[in-house]
Amino acid sequence: MKRHAFTKEMALGAVVLGLLLLIPLLTPSRIALDFVIRLAALGIFATSLNMLVGYGGMVSFGHSMFFGSGAYAFALTLQKTSMGIPTAMLVAIVFSGLVALVIGAICVRLKEIYFSFLTLAFQMLFHSIILTWTTLTGGDQGLTGGIPRPPFLGLNLAQTTDLYAFASVVGVVCFLLMRYILQSPFGYTLRMVRDNADRAQFLGINVWRVKLYAFILAGVFASVGGVLMSLFVSGAFPDFSYWTMSGEAVFMIMMGGVNVFLGPLVGSALLLMFNDVITRTTEYHGLALGLVVLIFALGFKRGITDFVLQGWQWLQRSGRAS
Amino acid sequence: MTQLPVQASQGRRQLLKGAGALAGLSSLGMPAISLAQNKPIRIGMPTILSGRVAMLGIASTSAAKMEVEKFNAAGGLNGRKIELIIRDSKGSPQEASRVARELVTADGCEMIFDGEASSGSFAVHEVARDLGVLVIHTCSETSSLTADPKLRVPTAFRCARQGIHDAVVGGAYAAQVAKEKGLRRWMTVSPDYAYGRDTTEEFIEYLKYFNKDIEVIGEVWPKLFQPDYSESITRLVQGKPQAIYSCIWGGDLTSFIDQANIYALLKDRQFFAVNMADYAVLTAVKNVPQNLHSGNRYLKNFPNTTANTNWSNEYTAKNKELPLNWSWQNAAGMQFLTAAMKKANSSDGKKVAEALRGLTIDSPFGTNGKLTMRAEDNTIVDYAVGWGTLDTKEPFMAKPNMGSWKQISELELEWKKRKGWA
Amino acid sequence: MEPTALLECLSSVSCIVTQSSTGLIVGALLFLVAAGLTLIFGVLGVINFSHGSFYMLGAYIALSAYRFTGSYILATLAAGLGVGLFGLFFERFFMRRVYNADVLMQLLVCYAFILILDDVVKIIWGPEFQSMGMPAAFEAPPLFIGGGIVPVFYLYLIAAAGLIALVLWYILAKTRLGKVVRAAAHNPTMTSALGLNTSLIYACVFAFGGLLAGMAGGLAAPVRSMSPGMGFSILIESFIVTVIGGMGSVSGALVGALLIGLVRSFGSIGFPLFVEGIMFLAMVLILVLKPSGLLGKETRS
Repeated sequence: MKRHAFTKEMALGAVVLGLLLLIPLLTPSRIALDFVIRLAALGIFATSLNMLVGYGGMVSFGHSMFFGSGAYAFALTLQKTSMGIPTAMLVAIVFSGLVALVIGAICVRLKEIYFSFLTLAFQMLFHSIILTWTTLTGGDQGLTGGIPRPPFLGLNLAQTTDLYAFASVVGVVCFLLMRYILQSPFGYTLRMVRDNADRAQFLGINVWRVKLYAFILAGVFASVGGVLMSLFVSGAFPDFSYWTMSGEAVFMIMMGGVNVFLGPLVGSALLLMFNDVITRTTEYHGLALGLVVLIFALGFKRGITDFVLQGWQWLQRSGRAS
Repeated sequence: MTQLPVQASQGRRQLLKGAGALAGLSSLGMPAISLAQNKPIRIGMPTILSGRVAMLGIASTSAAKMEVEKFNAAGGLNGRKIELIIRDSKGSPQEASRVARELVTADGCEMIFDGEASSGSFAVHEVARDLGVLVIHTCSETSSLTADPKLRVPTAFRCARQGIHDAVVGGAYAAQVAKEKGLRRWMTVSPDYAYGRDTTEEFIEYLKYFNKDIEVIGEVWPKLFQPDYSESITRLVQGKPQAIYSCIWGGDLTSFIDQANIYALLKDRQFFAVNMADYAVLTAVKNVPQNLHSGNRYLKNFPNTTANTNWSNEYTAKNKELPLNWSWQNAAGMQFLTAAMKKANSSDGKKVAEALRGLTIDSPFGTNGKLTMRAEDNTIVDYAVGWGTLDTKEPFMAKPNMGSWKQISELELEWKKRKGWA
Repeated sequence: MEPTALLECLSSVSCIVTQSSTGLIVGALLFLVAAGLTLIFGVLGVINFSHGSFYMLGAYIALSAYRFTGSYILATLAAGLGVGLFGLFFERFFMRRVYNADVLMQLLVCYAFILILDDVVKIIWGPEFQSMGMPAAFEAPPLFIGGGIVPVFYLYLIAAAGLIALVLWYILAKTRLGKVVRAAAHNPTMTSALGLNTSLIYACVFAFGGLLAGMAGGLAAPVRSMSPGMGFSILIESFIVTVIGGMGSVSGALVGALLIGLVRSFGSIGFPLFVEGIMFLAMVLILVLKPSGLLGKETRS
């Protein structure tokens, strides 16, 4: 059943990718391209957080630590060495994975709010290191001077259209990978641990190890998001690892929905659109965004896709009953 | 922030423009359809209008708008008026990057008037590099933006003061005061971030250059926007310096002085605060200490010319508040931009950039009534820099000492050589 | 790192007095804010992420009240009352709806309020920074105690914070109201089964937490400049204090606040660049070694 289901996902992914790659040919509007690049970066980031929150029941407040580590590792590799982009990406991913291994090993032992605060503390520590180690990271100004983007595979990522294509491919591939992982036996074990860790333990599952793997995977995917954002701004900033970035990811998954795989992606798109429209129209964007978030939190009480899913299930049930 | 409305007063023109604007508005992201000679010159302005540094954006946009209105009222560029599109980046560099890109790619802006603080400026600088668009940075004082050849972008310019210039003038002034009053033991207290560190380092360097007897016995580095300076102040008190230097600014400087006063830190001590002569701080601090020296962020009597006072009065009348450092920098930036457009007789970014390089304009903010955009590194020189003692009331700095640009340029060149930038 | 400077200070009475008093001052204000936060968590099990905005609101209300009445005491009381009322409103209409939702929903509601309050403050008081100025009564020269310097105003602050702490302790430990509140913290279902109005208790606790934060804002106002968004730094510090002291423990908040204050003041001499890092490291250590904090009890049932 899973194998069949995954071919469906792959096909869907291919169709989406095809559509995405068609867009620049259909419209000269650059704004759509920039939007998709940012959506790819933040969508991957938010979905990786949901691996922990929605699928693992681990509420991390410090996930932006990996977004930042990916961005900085990638940008620094390109600035200081003559490695190409794919190699730099690999460096970023491996580095973030190692950081996630060390920090995760310490954090996942804790439960609930303590886990959350510990991830927050580590992230703030990481952020404070970025700010203090000015010789390496440029301190509060971030990495200045732009990042060299040596062409590879015929792509010159300094061109928006090429970056768009790259971001689309990376985005679709990451989403397919994350989906595959979450639908695999590991994913089901993770959900079992989320629902009842004690029972899972009794069944012989090494709960700590499952949580750690989830933490590492989430960190690795978050770093890919960081790489894409770094390409977009041609650099890296300490803000990437600040609590506001973690907070944005939390918004995206809460507004998009934690129980549906594509929920965080929907949430990212929503938040980006709100942000872009609101900052154009009013100077009181804090007020506007705050009100929107309140509507979601108090009105819908759940993310949009969760809302739609519940509605759908309710319809199905009432359909069967009658 | 919303777009600056551009209204012509003649009826027929207005009708034609209205029709064009309506057609343009109906398709977001596509160029406005209007008659060629009335096509407005769109200039995008990313800046910070919210958060702790909102005053930066407010002062910058007020000044820019004032110059734009004057330019448009005088007929614009062959009848074409400037349309200034202002966006808030909320102080986030990635948002600044996105906003700058959007202004160019989606809003049809031909030039970017960058009112971002230093980290945002670096982000917008990369957009200039990638998209090849003309950018004038008006709020970033970090020297490396234009001085470092590795960072330089041919279409990016800076119209703002630079830390190194302030440091030469300030160092020379302070060294003189130190000789007169026998101030040998110094301490510094500045915010721990790039601007704070660089500015302090440069000031001390030139202080020691002009006066070999100076000894810095301690440095204190509170965090930017830190609310509580108690531990910094007690450290200064323990050190017992004769003089203290600080480049803390804005609301933090007000807090620092208020807190320092209750420790009587500044009683019988000379305090050199480069960012004190700023109307926002001068009006907020209730008890300005004695023995206060400052550089000139902006003062309407420095330079002491009618042009400067007139500009200040006009600004105050229009905006109901006194101009700040960001105000004059943006006004000058817009003056440069409009002058360059007139010289090139075009709104094409590349042509305007050519015209800007090495351009000298009349300006109320120049040492001798003129400002020049230095061709070799795309940054302004000859603006009025000075230091002096501060009083508690208007005109606040009665006898400012104006810096000599000959001296500044010499020392700046030598400093650049030492850094490997020249 | 400057260990010699630190040792020098520790061997000098005047330095010890000055730095310890600085630590007390920093700690006193921090305690007032953290106490509210920890109380709300202890009784309601909810983390009030918008607590920093309560502090900001208190500072601004004090500013306006001072400009209106010219009295510092009235201004501080107005700040406490104003924010207390706001806390009541916030709890009744917003937090109450998300008590049973998971912590992320609560975070969302609080963060929305941070955004809204920052803009509301900007609309009412303007975006420029404001300054209250020192009331004439405190413009005396600082005192010299044991050779160390202690400002008069800060002595007053420590006294005020100490008084409030005493009142808080008295209410919680010795009065019936305090017993009821502690019971509700320990076992809300049983408490309501016994006929006590838990929702009223919750509302009171939230209001009281707001009152504490508002008073802290008002008390500090003469020496701080106010601008929209000023609540954040105090929020992070109060989190650190609450975690170190123990979430839900008011005495833990006191110990944590004093500890942080002393670390800051002596740290600025011994390891000035790493003060922030040390604080986060301390938070990490506590969470790893004793998650319930120095004086905390185990998580509520």
